[in-house]
Amino acid sequence: MYEKDGEEIFVIDGHVHLWDARKENIIHEGGEQFLQCFYDYHTGFTPEEEQWDIDTYRHYGADKMTQDLFGNAAADMAVFQPTYLDDFYDEGFNTTEQNAELAEEYPERFVLNGSFDPRDGEEGLRYLEHLKEEYDIPGVKLYTAEWRGESKGWRLDSDDAFEFLEKCSDLGIENINAHKGPTIRPLNRDAFDVKDIDDAASSFPELNFIVNHVGLPRLDDFCWIAAQEPNVYGGLAVASAMSTHRQRKFGEIMGELLFWLGEDRVLFGSDYALWNPDWLVDQVMNAELTDEQRDEYGVELDVETMKKIMGENVAGLYDIDIEEKKRQFRDDDISEKFDLGAHYGGDAGAAAD
Amino acid sequence: MSGSRSDAGGDPTGRAAVRDRLDRVEDPELARSIVDLDYIDSIDIDGGRVEVRFTLPTAWCSPAFAWMMATDARDEVEALDWVRESRIELCDHMHGEEITTGVNAGDSFGETFPDADGDVAAVRAAIADKARVSRQREAVQALLDAGVDPEQIVSLVRADLTVAGDEAHVDVGGLSVVVDAAPVADYLDRVETSGHVTESDDTLFLTPEAEPIPADELDVVQKRSRLATVNMGGQGAVCDALHRARHGPEGLSGSESTPDRSTVDRSAYDGDVGEFTSTWTLGDDD
Repeated sequence: MYEKDGEEIFVIDGHVHLWDARKENIIHEGGEQFLQCFYDYHTGFTPEEEQWDIDTYRHYGADKMTQDLFGNAAADMAVFQPTYLDDFYDEGFNTTEQNAELAEEYPERFVLNGSFDPRDGEEGLRYLEHLKEEYDIPGVKLYTAEWRGESKGWRLDSDDAFEFLEKCSDLGIENINAHKGPTIRPLNRDAFDVKDIDDAASSFPELNFIVNHVGLPRLDDFCWIAAQEPNVYGGLAVASAMSTHRQRKFGEIMGELLFWLGEDRVLFGSDYALWNPDWLVDQVMNAELTDEQRDEYGVELDVETMKKIMGENVAGLYDIDIEEKKRQFRDDDISEKFDLGAHYGGDAGAAAD
Repeated sequence: MSGSRSDAGGDPTGRAAVRDRLDRVEDPELARSIVDLDYIDSIDIDGGRVEVRFTLPTAWCSPAFAWMMATDARDEVEALDWVRESRIELCDHMHGEEITTGVNAGDSFGETFPDADGDVAAVRAAIADKARVSRQREAVQALLDAGVDPEQIVSLVRADLTVAGDEAHVDVGGLSVVVDAAPVADYLDRVETSGHVTESDDTLFLTPEAEPIPADELDVVQKRSRLATVNMGGQGAVCDALHRARHGPEGLSGSESTPDRSTVDRSAYDGDVGEFTSTWTLGDDD
């Protein structure tokens, strides 16, 4: 847990991956490009002393991930967001199955999401059922901009997608994490489009729609939609990394998000291993709005707000009881491994003993 | 900016003239000059032949945006009467080769990328509209500061506004209010590009959806305009970081420390790069 102004903040990293981009796993040049692009983001927004070498970045493995997330208690829990990319990576880049290896080793520490692609049709629906049955996934991570064969992506407001969302609803898979990224090869009339979220969110009020990267580079469209759809949330991956060299920009973006969405619908995510909560959590916690931004937006990044953004909001989506977790973490495997028992034995413990 | 720019064949006056023309080319997402943004690597002049090389902050910048900048650069350079021939080269971009070839051959985007979905015109229109929304805020604020009521502001039409020198004159029910011309002229420029407010009796200020603004919603429209500006700046911050990651803090000359991507054949790539590979571009920073 993080301590800010004498108060403990329980941190749930809402966006992490365990990926494998080793050369032997890459079967298409897109896989190498993808990883190199990630690495640009990594170095671009990571303090120099925290940057990894490219080989570590390709494949860091479960042990390092565990250490990075929990070793210094930077995060208390984390949410896996799978990224399949089967066309590029022999065994996939970061699949539910790959993530499950670690998630199942420390089930009390991880939330494991699945994924679907409506273009998979009936087979895809069966796979979604399988993921629910096998892993009891509480959510999915989706890539609407992914190309496949002749298809240049898909929309969340299409009939096919609605069939899958219906299935999610039936299965109790409530959290729909959408990455709204641009198609990279030409061109796309949807270069600015997060608008399919709007119809999907109003058609499925029982589901939560978490827009990763807060729609950047379409923050404006995203905020306007989210202001009108109460079940739309903003995931801070990428945005949170702006606190590295761009504190003022980070403040502006937070100001806008808090103004349009409010403090209950903004979720922290490191996007590990793009960035490491090991240092990022501390940096975000210490970020401040300028006086000008406070006046402009009428919001504060105070302890109560940060508690929500850094943990409580994610906990709400995934039905995590933070107080129960604190008790559990006094002697779970991770706390034993990193000698964190005392860390979780603080004031929260009194009632339980 | 790279220190390696060649002065060979350099005619300083000619080079300055070319830069002036290029200064009018904007990164479409930021509505800022590609010269200010430091995208230009070199300008070489040989008689009436001009060659411009430029690099974007990331090899992943949207091909559509790269295309727009390349064609605009070509058109601007060729607008100089002494230029007989121009060549524009987009460097270090996943589709650099195709775009360079297509732009210099005078091909259309559709010819260059036959499998592209949508067209450049639609993207241009979407971007122009974002710039319109973004620039409206300061113009409206100037009027509010001058004491014009929201009711009056939302009912203004194009003909109520005249820019003369440093001043903009606003006709408010027969009364002329004078404000600083800069934000108003800037807005008029953007609104014209966006294709809105073309007739003298068209409503001057609009919602992002290009509708007239109810007076009691002027404040929320102002906030949406602010949001559009923050979005552009946020993209700029991302791309500036990528620019540094790619080229080092000193610009292109610092590129030795970054991995060599030239060995990767980007042109054959046709997949998704899902996670925030980007249309983002370099912008002002903190």
